[in-house]
Amino acid sequence: MLNQPKFADDIMTLFAQRKALPVHIPVIQPADPFLDMAGEDLRRRIFLTESETGESLCLRPEFTIPVCLRHIETASGTPQRYAYLGQVFRQRRDGENEFYQAGIEDLGDADIAKADAHAIRDASDTLTALLPGIELHTTLGDQTVFEAVVAALGLPDGWQSRLIHAFGDPALLDSLLQSLSQASGKVPGIDDRVAALVDSGDEAGLTELIDRQMVATGYMTNASRTPAEIAHRLVQKARLSNARLDAKALDVLKTFLALDTPMRDAADALAAFSRIAGLDLDAALNIFNARVQALEKAGFDLSSSRYRAAFGRPLDYYTGLVFEMSAQGAVLAGGGRFDRLLTLLGAKAAIPSVGFSLWLDRIAAARAVKSERPSQ
Amino acid sequence: MSVTIALPSKGRMKDDAMAIFARAGLEIVNIGNERSYRGVITGMDGAEVAFLSAGEIARELGNGNIDMGVTGEDLVREDLSAADERVTFCARLGFGHADVVVAVPDVWIDVDTMADLGDVAADFRARHGRRLRIATKYWRLTQQFFSAQHGIQVYRIVESLGATEGAPASGQADIIVDITSTGSTLRANHLKILSDGIILQSEACLVRSRSDVRSAPDETLLDDIVKNIQTISA
Repeated sequence: MLNQPKFADDIMTLFAQRKALPVHIPVIQPADPFLDMAGEDLRRRIFLTESETGESLCLRPEFTIPVCLRHIETASGTPQRYAYLGQVFRQRRDGENEFYQAGIEDLGDADIAKADAHAIRDASDTLTALLPGIELHTTLGDQTVFEAVVAALGLPDGWQSRLIHAFGDPALLDSLLQSLSQASGKVPGIDDRVAALVDSGDEAGLTELIDRQMVATGYMTNASRTPAEIAHRLVQKARLSNARLDAKALDVLKTFLALDTPMRDAADALAAFSRIAGLDLDAALNIFNARVQALEKAGFDLSSSRYRAAFGRPLDYYTGLVFEMSAQGAVLAGGGRFDRLLTLLGAKAAIPSVGFSLWLDRIAAARAVKSERPSQ
Repeated sequence: MSVTIALPSKGRMKDDAMAIFARAGLEIVNIGNERSYRGVITGMDGAEVAFLSAGEIARELGNGNIDMGVTGEDLVREDLSAADERVTFCARLGFGHADVVVAVPDVWIDVDTMADLGDVAADFRARHGRRLRIATKYWRLTQQFFSAQHGIQVYRIVESLGATEGAPASGQADIIVDITSTGSTLRANHLKILSDGIILQSEACLVRSRSDVRSAPDETLLDDIVKNIQTISA
């Protein structure tokens, strides 16, 4: 067992002052929720094992998912802030495979701006307490603003969801923008009979045809994608096949994604962007601005933070705010809003959630560097 | 000083590999009887031959327990992480052709490309309460292709130990990643390969394990074998 860092108690004391309830999360966890939420790519990076009965288990790779699952299982009321501190286990090419993380998950606070601001402030205060005098850089992103831009451009639904899905993955987003800029032409891989039904927009006819084909080829019509679902998507795809993202929309998206500005100027920069692009982003910008105000009210110093429009995480449970705090080139804290996670994990009602996690190994390294240097 | 060269221990792969070595002037003689699993190359002192299954050859090349071997590229790339850092593909041998492909049911007439599949995967949980399921025995190749190359993150792999092509019809999975040589098995099971769904065009290869502890004479011996095989397989 890796020794707990000396400053662990200081962190938990500070978390307690911030009204976060400490929770105990077992080290051995069922693997399915992690793989379901974060995808199969995670499989290479976690330590998997199997129970005698064949259940897939893993060493805790992170805390957010088990904290949320525990919240659902114990049917705890909201709002509730949870604090955790413990080892996590991940296969990394660089760095140790086991290290400590600590963080707060804030579940069910309906005041989004305030909850966001408190997550950022608490992460920042903890780092400042552990690393007094260190220069922290905070980067913020907000998927809600990107979603609003895409919606305001009036792009077809199919494109909107593709773009939002790619947000946070620059390479994927780039190649998507490029492919949307070219018309794809005729829908490939369909025969004349299907093409005729598609041309006349006869979704019911298509559904019937697909249903018959499934039955004839021994496929169950209810085990996977349904005939109606396939027919609907085909018609939608055909409708988009002759359209292409026009030069102006492409330009607007690229201009937006290139925005990178000090946090103090972000509200003005976004307002100017929406005015010049002629887009109504008021709803999203109100949320954004309310968060900035809440940050100031919470006593967070905006001067060391930047807003980067393209910053996001390409996983479908992240919804709004994302942030990262770094010092001396190392990321010490990461956080964000995951309003979709609890319902994906099985919660009956939607629970707005935001949280952050601290990398204690990197904080320890930063403290070591600091103590080596004579104070100025 | 000696090097170990591994050849497939049975079937077509064995016959074809032996034939290639023979054409390259490297005569392999079994030690003991014809069915033994050890051999030597006539006139090449210090070259031992081991007959192993194609899957074992891939794994042992990665471990560095054998110096060179004949096996399918698909097995090497599936078994070894960062394969190109651990082995060198010296020659493609022109047999054992098989493509590792992404195949979906024929009736998915709206899905023709990986981008289409990405759309379907993104919506799948909302529509069906679970992630898109892929049946395969190629975990690593599937993850690299879907996650790294096509940015598709949300899907689940269902391990398949055989008859993968039957998984979609029986409801165990939605789509498959599998090998095919002629495509006839896929067609018979009403599956189609996506137009950009070829993950790897595999064939039998002469594969050399990278080692920094091998002696100079051993390296020379391996160089000679590679040269001989390259001359006839080029």
